[in-house]
Amino acid sequence: MNEIVPALHRDLGLAERCRAGAPGAFEEVYRANAPRLFGLACRLVGRTDAEDLLQEIFLAAHRKLGLYKGESSLGTWLFRLATNLCLDHLRSRGVKFAQVTDALDDEREVAIAQRGGVLSAVERLDLERALATLPPGCRAVFVLHDVEGFEHKEIGALLGIADGTSKSQLHKARMRLRAALASPATRTLGQTS
Amino acid sequence: MNTCRDIEPLLSSFVDGQLAGDERATVVAHLETCEACRGLVTDLERLRAAARVLGPIAPPDHLWLEVAGQIRLDQDAPQVSAPARPARRALPQWLALAAALVLVTFGVYLVDVLRTPAPPGDNRTATSEGPGSVEAVARELSLALEHYDNAIVELQKVAQTDQTALDPDVAETLKKNLTVIDRAIADSRTALRTDPQNEPARETLIDALKRKVGVLQTTVSLMNEMRKGDAAGAARVAGGKG
Repeated sequence: MNEIVPALHRDLGLAERCRAGAPGAFEEVYRANAPRLFGLACRLVGRTDAEDLLQEIFLAAHRKLGLYKGESSLGTWLFRLATNLCLDHLRSRGVKFAQVTDALDDEREVAIAQRGGVLSAVERLDLERALATLPPGCRAVFVLHDVEGFEHKEIGALLGIADGTSKSQLHKARMRLRAALASPATRTLGQTS
Repeated sequence: MNTCRDIEPLLSSFVDGQLAGDERATVVAHLETCEACRGLVTDLERLRAAARVLGPIAPPDHLWLEVAGQIRLDQDAPQVSAPARPARRALPQWLALAAALVLVTFGVYLVDVLRTPAPPGDNRTATSEGPGSVEAVARELSLALEHYDNAIVELQKVAQTDQTALDPDVAETLKKNLTVIDRAIADSRTALRTDPQNEPARETLIDALKRKVGVLQTTVSLMNEMRKGDAAGAARVAGGKG
């Protein structure tokens, strides 16, 4: 608590300097937060759209800084703003979060499962690539829960879905990632059994 | 007796520590006797751990310049209504027109020409001379890129007319970005010359061209501040001060 309050004061001061047009103030906000927000945007909407979205996020943030009252850190405030803009972007592309992602072919999943664990070390790049292949609905839940640490209740509120749907989508996302990341030898075993 | 099919949907919640009471006890009992599900739990834990450490991704350098430029333009623009997506759009007067022409020209080519699927029943081979063939795609791509290049040349002419007005550090950053982008364009073109239907190379090329327009737009918007006689505004944009 003693550490949090000064940090919020600092954030409020920084927001105030941005509003006053102090040289370098908004760049400070950008430099501190852009990489995390860009990571979020890349994983939710894909790299190409993420560049446009990042600009949109910071323009919106600049316009709305007057609404920031220091109830949370500036980083958290920006993250919420960015999450909402990314999800709006997906909705504008016709993504319906309430629509539950189909499971993979059950037989194949079970066949793979029968071999026990199929993943060795999960490489970051492999995971990023596999993540990009997920349907947007379950990908959003996976990113928000497993990457960004949101609770199912918060995800439900953000996406307009029930907690149970969020849990089910998360499991489907993980199962699909597992199948995508399984070593080729294991995949072959699973498919031929 | 619970089967793996009964247990599997519960395993994500199990590894997240969200099962309690009978449900958890059922899963634990099943795992004691089922090697396959134990393996699945191990995999889900590995995935979960790997996802936790997926960190931030550094955005390209030029994005800050674009954000700073847009904020400056946003502040100068009459506050009628905020556009939903102002990025790369809120450019003033002739600049907006020039940029729009570039994007529309190229966009039309991409949508109408490069991404048009072969008509149903068209079973010509990929090496024939008809629409959708390797030669036709290569020809159309070449034509589209020529249009894009011409438009970029025009933007570059504008961007280079008075670059002494730019802060040297900003000019250097813009130059570095353009060098990287030009390299990507050259590499993609080389790949496309070898294989005109190389989809990743085509996407990289399109992306690189889009980035190039973005950087040129930023450069020209800085110049535009100077043309408007707002040296202080240009200095703020060039210095990245929103």
